Amino acid sequence: MNILIVKLGSIGDIVHTLPALAALRHAFPEAHIDWLVESRCKEILLENPTLLEDTIYTTTQLVVGERCALAASSGLINAAPDEASKRFLATQTLDEARHVEIFTQRLFDLGVKKTELEDVIKAMASPHLVAFAGVLLEKVDKKDFVAGVVGQNIVLEGLAFSVFEMQHAVNKELNPKFAHTLSGTIADERRHVGFGENRIGSLLKDEPHKKPAIEKMQKDMSYHILATFAEAFRRNDGAAEEERRLASLGAGKAEWQGADLAKLAPAEMEQLLANTVLREFKIRLGRLGLEYQTPAAP
Amino acid sequence: MSREVHSLAPDEFLDAVHSFEFWFHSIQGYLANTEFGHRPGTPKEELPTDRRERLITVLCNYCVGETAALDGASGLIGFAPNRQSKIFLATQVVDEARHLEVLIHRLSELGVANPEQEIQLRSTRSLSLFRRRLIELVASKDWEAAIFAQNVILEAMEFAAFQSHARDADPITRELLEGIIVDERRHMGFGENDLGRRLALTPHVRARLLEVKRELDPLVLETFEEMLSELGVPRSERPELGRNYLATVERLGFGS
Repeated sequence: MNILIVKLGSIGDIVHTLPALAALRHAFPEAHIDWLVESRCKEILLENPTLLEDTIYTTTQLVVGERCALAASSGLINAAPDEASKRFLATQTLDEARHVEIFTQRLFDLGVKKTELEDVIKAMASPHLVAFAGVLLEKVDKKDFVAGVVGQNIVLEGLAFSVFEMQHAVNKELNPKFAHTLSGTIADERRHVGFGENRIGSLLKDEPHKKPAIEKMQKDMSYHILATFAEAFRRNDGAAEEERRLASLGAGKAEWQGADLAKLAPAEMEQLLANTVLREFKIRLGRLGLEYQTPAAP
Repeated sequence: MSREVHSLAPDEFLDAVHSFEFWFHSIQGYLANTEFGHRPGTPKEELPTDRRERLITVLCNYCVGETAALDGASGLIGFAPNRQSKIFLATQVVDEARHLEVLIHRLSELGVANPEQEIQLRSTRSLSLFRRRLIELVASKDWEAAIFAQNVILEAMEFAAFQSHARDADPITRELLEGIIVDERRHMGFGENDLGRRLALTPHVRARLLEVKRELDPLVLETFEEMLSELGVPRSERPELGRNYLATVERLGFGS
């Protein structure tokens, strides 16, 4: 079934129509719903300067993370010891470049000019994420295949996985176009994490004595990623407050991990994310027979 | 893609052509409904033993070339000068990996039990030297020299070999080579455009590229010679692979 909502503007009217969208989605979960609006009302979140700045910040971290993933996965191809790994990493290179492309386009959609792209990224990139990229790419440059796969496909992708899922939940109702983009990214990340688990799992099966070295790699490389998440939550309480206010106006629930994100304070949201990220990360490590090592600040 | 990309302004052209949208659109034209590079209904020709053996040797050497191309293109991403080039090279990386996959699959169809081992055994010395030199150029992070060696020299070498081979190959091999040739054309186009723009701004780069060409040309020509003599093709019957390669490189704007 196809449903078209015609409510061209204004922003206030659109916000008050959001409950109708939620009700339609609830009543017709399989329906394809389009909404005709004036182009200036396309993304209501972006009319709000606080949210716009916050969204650009978050998207910048996605671009930086995906650029790092692109450099790492392509750099690892040359170091891969077998043809099958080379082939997988080639598909991962394609995925990561596509993510770079769509998140960069997202920055342009948010009003970042093409000529200002690198300056915006430089100004907004989390120093922790930049530091992580430095550590990972140094290992890739040295053709250290195992450290590269642990850093890229287990630490970076494994930890970021839950963040993508939470972002998807937050954006599902308020920003379905971006949520759709994220859902494609999540599917790719799942495949990449699977490759990392299989590859490192086989290695540990053949060479169990390498377990302490791999656990140490996880310990050394996790810190900067977790610090990036913490920094993102603490930098802008005002934006989180605005998101909750808009959601309470009727965009419906943003459910994730059994909680309504629209009702959580930033500290509660951070706690929920931290618990989920670590729980799922530990489960993944456990499947490989690895113990989670609490990261220490470098 | 409905727009005529050649009518776009230079920046818009790069955004349009070096994009996944463009790549998806391009490959759908010739890879849709194929399995391992050929249509499922393509007739399987029974090859006599000697012809089958020769084909295996040729395909093993193609695999060496494609592995070099995969390692080279992926290494270039790390120091590509801009976003659009990184995106293009990511599509090239997956093209090269696909070539390797279809060629290895063809080796399996021909009864090769351990393709990786067979490739080691049958690869020619000159091609292995070429591969090593290409990876050194990529590792040096000299963009102009590396993209020239990868997207002009290597791609033109493969283009000449595949085009000649496709003319009298069995139907399955012909189809998979034709799919690869279309990719090669796109890769050479990227090298030609990128280097063409650079040379217009910094003409002195040409001298360095010609130095690379002088170093690599003999390896390309020796690769052809070695392969054809290993295949037992009499000198009088050998295809003009070397001449075709040099003509392709010249057409791209890099004559000696």
